[in-house]
Amino acid sequence: MILKKIKENPIVKKLGFNRIVLTGVLILMYVILSCLVNNFAGMPRVMSALNYAYFLGFLSLGVTFVIATGGIDFSIGPVMFCCALISGYSLTSHGVPMGLSLIISIVVGVIFGAFNGYLVAYQKVPPFIVSMASMNIAKGVASVFTKTQSVSWPQAAKGGWFRYFVKVGKVPVGIIVFFAVAIACSILLNHTKAGRYMLSLGSNREAVRLSGVDVKKWEMLAYVICGLLVGIAAIYFVGAYTTVQPGYGDQYNNEAIAGCVMGGTSMAGGLASIGGTVIGVFIIALLQEGILALGFTKDYQLIITGIIVICAVYADVMARRRRN
Amino acid sequence: MGEVILQMKDIDKSFPGVHALDHVSFSVEKGEVHALMGENGAGKSTLMKVLTGIYTKDSGTITYEGKEVEFHNAREAQAAGVVIVHQELNMVGHLNVAQNIFIGREFKKGIKIDDKKMIEESRKLFEKLNIDIDPTATMSDLTVGKQQMCEIAKAISHDAKVIIFDEPTAALTEAEIQDLFKIIRDLREQQLGIVYISHRMDEIKVITDRVTVMRDGCYVGTLITKDCTKDDIVNMMVGRVIYEEPKTKSMVSEDAPVVLKVEHLNAGKMVQDVSFELHKGEILGFSGLMGAGRTETARAIFGADPKESGDIYVNGEKVVINSPEDAVKAGIGYLSEDRKRFGIVVQKTIAENTTMANLSEFMKGIFINKKKEKKIAKELADSLATKMPSVDELVVNLSGGNQQKVVIAKWLCKNCDILIFDEPTRGIDVGAKNEIYKLMNKLASEGKSIIMISSEMTEILRMSDRIVVMCEGKKTGELRIEETTQEKIMNFATRDVG
Repeated sequence: MILKKIKENPIVKKLGFNRIVLTGVLILMYVILSCLVNNFAGMPRVMSALNYAYFLGFLSLGVTFVIATGGIDFSIGPVMFCCALISGYSLTSHGVPMGLSLIISIVVGVIFGAFNGYLVAYQKVPPFIVSMASMNIAKGVASVFTKTQSVSWPQAAKGGWFRYFVKVGKVPVGIIVFFAVAIACSILLNHTKAGRYMLSLGSNREAVRLSGVDVKKWEMLAYVICGLLVGIAAIYFVGAYTTVQPGYGDQYNNEAIAGCVMGGTSMAGGLASIGGTVIGVFIIALLQEGILALGFTKDYQLIITGIIVICAVYADVMARRRRN
Repeated sequence: MGEVILQMKDIDKSFPGVHALDHVSFSVEKGEVHALMGENGAGKSTLMKVLTGIYTKDSGTITYEGKEVEFHNAREAQAAGVVIVHQELNMVGHLNVAQNIFIGREFKKGIKIDDKKMIEESRKLFEKLNIDIDPTATMSDLTVGKQQMCEIAKAISHDAKVIIFDEPTAALTEAEIQDLFKIIRDLREQQLGIVYISHRMDEIKVITDRVTVMRDGCYVGTLITKDCTKDDIVNMMVGRVIYEEPKTKSMVSEDAPVVLKVEHLNAGKMVQDVSFELHKGEILGFSGLMGAGRTETARAIFGADPKESGDIYVNGEKVVINSPEDAVKAGIGYLSEDRKRFGIVVQKTIAENTTMANLSEFMKGIFINKKKEKKIAKELADSLATKMPSVDELVVNLSGGNQQKVVIAKWLCKNCDILIFDEPTRGIDVGAKNEIYKLMNKLASEGKSIIMISSEMTEILRMSDRIVVMCEGKKTGELRIEETTQEKIMNFATRDVG
């Protein structure tokens, strides 16, 4: 009863009950980890978690659009690596200027997004299959292009000025960029025609089509936007971790999707929250930092994010069942 | 009249905020067909769900075969002999008929399923019921009518003593309805108690012995069917007379301008060489039986499904329509028979649904002008008398009639001059039905032109200025309302088109 009253409070309603709870979880996690781990509260740890949150955040924002249309994209992680490898290899081995390399990264992401989107929207191939296939294509293409070598991006002092997008000295500039992009995404999703149609077609594609809307175009656009954000994610990945190796990236699919569904975006489509995704991403990033700080291996992170995805989707299924 | 086999007494059931059943009593005798009527939300379904244990009653007693009982789920009720034949059939399409009938209690031979015996048993069952269905046929190949017969056979095979039919004729053709009635009469002969839930007044008069009417969760009364008139029943249902007389004269002159002309339209088996004209301000009824190809014709015109050939003219000009987008641009709006699937986006608000077809008009640069959107949606909702807390309400929370109004608002917002209403009042209760009718008349008088596909004869006769009748994908007749009789329509609708 009290819970219901809280939920119906206008301020709570506006902010979203789910998002408030998630924010609480995030703060609680931070407090607990700070108590358990020496110096966890300090800047180095926080910066490290932020580095993780940036690239994962862009991936998660991207996939939010796809999931909003009722689709799914399991290629984002490997495509991100593909973007970073192709652009990085162009930079280091072909002498392509830095600025152009960054653009190449984004273009590669957009091409993959358009490829997935075209097959899903126009050719009606199930998104699950399409993205599974393009995940392998992305890995393969990256390996072929780089002759299976890893690529290291230059340090800030040696021409790697793109790193200033991540941080300048000790100032985490990345967070400003990330929030700016997230706000742009939120506006796109909630205040433009594209967002309106993406969400609507995710909820009831046929009804939107029969309203005279070109649903294929808008559905494809969601994948293209996702690709664009994956391209940006790649830049933030190398900005934080410098080196990329071909053949990896799968694990970030799950983490990005976890951040998204945890934030209240429904896997069934039609419901999406950018704000939720942002908080979800921070939780995942803090979690990974915490797990490492507590001395566990990365494997535990896999287990926990897997469980988070299942729980979040299960909660969504239950909520929909109750509504019906 | 036989002895009472089932007696529900003083049944009370509340859900949070709703008193769904207010001390309702209801009884069924052996060898009678007892109609249960009432508007949507009157409590019929709730009562039947309490009976079969899907809901638990708050108070009251159920006496079945002289003993007080309380079923905890549908399976228990079924085992005791109380079975519901649902509106939506619960059949597994790719299994055969016999496998469906014995699903969940298959005969076994060792660990193998004994298909042969199931087929044999099904055959016996069908013989007993005088049903002509091959037990080895695949379920999905059967017509809806035949599938329903299987459902009934399944109920009988459970040794049912009380069978509840929930809107059994909603998806049946006239011939199938007659077959169903024959079976129901047979069952009555065999001293079963039958509960018959339906909105179709004509059927109630034909098939039932008694009628119990419910309204707003209360028991209103029980009548002997042959001693009462339709109006008596309707009055009990709504507390007022609602059925208007059929239209006898069209107010649209024959030389009113033609706004839509369809010539030699072909789209698969269901649309063969269909041609007709729609005049300005007219309601053109499309009559015919289920599967006559009326919806398919509408969808082909609207570009929702591909067409093979045929020309469409809007206001005298030829238009190419290959997608709903083209149709909407040409000023055509389509209101589907299946609102939930094709009409509304339930997770979006009333305002968002209203502007769905015309969002371009609500843009301020790249942003949606939500203020204007809400304002227009509010105006439209007010003019349609949509009952809602606000335009920010999600459409999922509205009743069927109000959802239909939201769909209408969507097309009015787009300012479509040609509206295709496909079964505009399906699943809408009697009171709201009347409102939709009034609205359609108002729209027509304002110069909109309407195509109304309807399977209800009364609706066709009451609303149409002219009537096109279809049968098996072909147009078989066209009538002006002045010359129309039910018999004429039926004649065209069942005509042997060879």
